[in-house]
Order: sequence, then C-alpha cells, then structure tokens
Amino acid sequence: MAGVWIIAETREQALELLGAGRSLAPDMGAAITTIVKKETAPPEEYISCGADEVLQLPALPPDQPFGAFLPVIEQEVKAGSPDLILFNATARGKEMAARLASRLGCGLCSSCTALAFDKSSGSVVMERLAYGGAAIQKLTSSAKTVIITVPPRSFEPAQPLEGRQGKTRELASPPASAVRIIERKPKEKIAKDITEARVIVCAGRGFDKKEDLALARELADALGGELGATRPLTEEVHWLPEDLCIGLSGVQVKPELYVGLGVSGQVQHMTGVRGAKVVCAVNRDENAPIFPLCDFGIVGNLYDVVPKLIAELKK
Amino acid sequence: MPTIVACFKWVVDEAYIRKGSDGKLDFSSVDYKIGEYDRNAIEEAVRLRDAGGGGSVIGVTVGTPESAKGVKDGLSRGMDQAYFAADAAFRDLEPSQTAGILAEVIRTRIPQYDLITCGEGSSDLYAQQVGPRLAELLGIPCVCFVQKLSLEGGKLRAERRVEDGVEVVEAPLPAVVTVLPDINTPRIPGVKDTLMAGKKPATTIKKGELAGSFDGVLKTAAMTASSMERTGEKLAADAAGIARFVDSLRKRGVIG
Repeated sequence: MAGVWIIAETREQALELLGAGRSLAPDMGAAITTIVKKETAPPEEYISCGADEVLQLPALPPDQPFGAFLPVIEQEVKAGSPDLILFNATARGKEMAARLASRLGCGLCSSCTALAFDKSSGSVVMERLAYGGAAIQKLTSSAKTVIITVPPRSFEPAQPLEGRQGKTRELASPPASAVRIIERKPKEKIAKDITEARVIVCAGRGFDKKEDLALARELADALGGELGATRPLTEEVHWLPEDLCIGLSGVQVKPELYVGLGVSGQVQHMTGVRGAKVVCAVNRDENAPIFPLCDFGIVGNLYDVVPKLIAELKK
Repeated sequence: MPTIVACFKWVVDEAYIRKGSDGKLDFSSVDYKIGEYDRNAIEEAVRLRDAGGGGSVIGVTVGTPESAKGVKDGLSRGMDQAYFAADAAFRDLEPSQTAGILAEVIRTRIPQYDLITCGEGSSDLYAQQVGPRLAELLGIPCVCFVQKLSLEGGKLRAERRVEDGVEVVEAPLPAVVTVLPDINTPRIPGVKDTLMAGKKPATTIKKGELAGSFDGVLKTAAMTASSMERTGEKLAADAAGIARFVDSLRKRGVIG
C-alpha cells in the first residue's frame, strides 16, 4: 500500500499536515502514518483526524535538539518506504527534511504552495515560488519517495471523524546528537499576530528614523489595523521585531487592506501580500516597483501624505 | 587559526526578471549577482578568520563557466582563494545536485577545514537545502538559521533562531552552519578589493575531474511568471487625490 507520512513537532503542526495528507491520501490509495512527539496529544486524537498509524517520539533529554531524532526517523522511513513525506516549513522542520532527503537520496520540495496528485501519471505535482516570488516552479519527482515542507497555515487543520481506528507505537530514544543545546531563550510574546490582521500598514525604508514609525502606527490605528514591516526594517536597522517582517523570508499575510508606506515593492516583499484583497501604497518615487503591484497608490512624500490621509479618514 | 569554507552561488538578479506577454519569464535583460544570503556566509567566514587571528577562507561555488565573474566577486569580499566547479551542464541544478558537487569538491580539494558557512538559502531557488544536505554528505554536524556564531577550542557556539525562540547550541568542529541575514553586515567591495581579487588563487574544476554523476531526482515541469500585477491607479498627493483614495477604499468595502 502507498504511504503518506507526516512528521511534526507540535499538535497544531501535526493536525495541519494531517489536513494536507488527507486531501491526497484517498486518491493515492495511501495510508497515513504520523510521527509526532508523544507529549503533544494522545494518539487517539491523531487517529480520529486521519492517521492510520501513530509513531510516537519519546521525550528527549533537555540538551538534545529535535534533529537528534533523525536516525530513528530515517530507520522507520526506510522500512516503511512511503511515497510522500510532509514536514512543516519551520526552522527545525526544514533542517530535518533536508537531512532526511539527503539520507534517502530523494527530492525535497521546499515551502510548497500547492500540492496535488495526478491520477493519470500517478505522481505528486508540487508548486513553489522561485526568484524571490517572481516565478512559480512546478515540480514532479522521479524517485519513489518525495519530501515536501509546507509553510504554516497553508492547510486547514484536520477535523476528527467518528469511528476511526489505528495503530500506535512508541519509537526508541535516539543516540545523543553531536549538536547540544546549552540554553533555550523563549521568545517574548508579541502582542499581535499580523497574519490574522484585517488591515496592515506596512513601514518600509522610506522612513528616516525609528521615531517616525509613530506615523505608521497612527494610520494603522485610524484604519483599525496592525503594523507590519519590510525586511530591512526588522533585520538591518532592527526598528521593529522580526515577527512583523512580511515577505518570502518572513510571514505571508492575507488582510482585506494592505497599505505600504515608503515600501519600494521588491518582489520578495510583495510576494508576502499576494493574498491581500486591496493593496495600497504611498511612495514619493513614481517609478517605484510597488505602483504596478498595487490597486491604489499615492505618489508623494509619506510625511506629507499620511497626516492628510488620517485627517480624511476621520472626516 | 581556522580554515573556513564559504559556499556561495552566482545567481540571476530577480529584480530584472520581466513577465513576457505569454506569461513566461523574460530573462533577456537580467544581470547576475552573488546571492544576497551568501554574502552573509562569506562575511561571517571572513569575520571568524580575522577574529581567530589568521587562518584562511576558501570559497566554493558551482555553476556554468559564465559564472566565473561570480568567483572574482566572491574573492573581492575578503576570501583568500576559491574553487569553482564549472561545467555547461551545471545549469539549473536542484539542491541535491549542488550539495553533491560542493561535497565532492570539499572532500577532494580541501583536506582540512574547521567550518563550512552557507547562506540560509539561495536568492534564486531559496530552497534552503544545500547547507544541511552538505553536512549529511560530509558526515558532519549541522546548525541552521544561525544569528550569532563563535569558534572556540574545537567547538562552535551558535544561537539558532527557531519559531519558539532561540536555541544556544554547541557542536564539535568541523561542522556546517547556515547563517541568517542579520548575523552581520556584508561589506561592499571597493576598487582595491576588486583589483586584489584578480590576484588571488582561483581553481576551476571541470565536471570530468569530479567523481560522481550528480543526477537530479526532481523535474521542473514548468517555471512560469507569477502574476502580482494589480490595477495600479496612481493618485496625486493633493486633496483630490487623497479624497479619491479614501473613497476608493470605502467603495471596495475594506474600510468603514
């Protein structure tokens, strides 16, 4: 029997991948095997959400990273010989997927944006972005097994079904990894998750200094929205936290309204707002790449335009 | 004094890719560049060499013979020497092939090294696979998405950024790291750097000089331009323009 395997760290990730797996498994005639940390949830939950078999990863000593599981997972995958393996495109998921792909000698479609099974050819057809989002690359695999990483929130989490049955097995503890964790610094919780925001005002390099971002915040408040940023603001000048970085190397957002202030419109950034209903821009350079990529754009100095916009909105 | 291998890729500058009328990608006016993320990998290697009071940085890249310009560009960024695996067949490689070729070059040409640095992803495919694949092929530890790095006493200490925070890790050398863009600020080479780059040793290796066939397993069935164009109505920054802007958003139902 064909197999779809999902490998996840958390319950949420596992349920999303089960959602993805269940969209393909019936057409592939495949059973779904779920490898997930034992502590995340009882196996019955994964079984009711579509898993035919749950392989539980035991707890690790505190100094061991998730990557330590690689040899144990490799052994199971080699024995089970699945057709498709799904990982989440998280930092740990991406690293493990690439290392497993190397060990299996198989292909890996990174950050897959669309996934389908072509019954006539019997192959999985995958899509992903390339050239900073300027292109869509469609891929198939010539090897039996192919691995895919799926960005968070690409698939609806699987919902439980009545009367499902499956098997459960606990995997052995892995040998110690050469990479040891000596300290974990949990992330300070950010106030808002901009991937859920209805309106986003995004600040770009057009702002002269950090204090001026108050203007962007004021417009966001007037619109009932959240503040976002381009990569230079979060990673070069560090004016805003990295969680607010929109684009290929940040988050993908789907607001009703996106307003870019002093955002030039590089493809890596704009690919992150592809899902927005309406895209607007304020930029003083009338030749900025953002103008053809937006619905409405004001050509002008944001320091002059934004206060006027706020006044107009308050009318 | 560490010997550090910095991997980099000479890529199409995506800012110059146009969308052809048939929906295909138009590469006719493209320029090339060293991958944005690879500049951080080179800079970090150079920084660690200098922090270690000497040693050397060896660049390794794979590409078609036309990518020779990229070797000189890489050398102008502070590396000491470079290996360039060049072949007309080394075009549009998938990550498993690139990693395979890099591994073979490192294994056969660089007998001793302490660290290999890679960018978090290439600027063209951004598959983020080559670093961890390379580590597996060489059988050495791997630490990805590093934002801070130091070497000491045969070990590396790295801060790797993950979804739930930061993991501070240690690993024995040699090892592979992939670095995040904010680990450093890559230098911009000056005229002197460019002139000096021409005098540094660069070795070109042909496919026939490497053992292995480097076959791929993925097939690109199509590469099409993504459509991001919108109506693009430009408005003036005067009272009429601003009124029309706000009115348009109300009509589209996105503001109250």
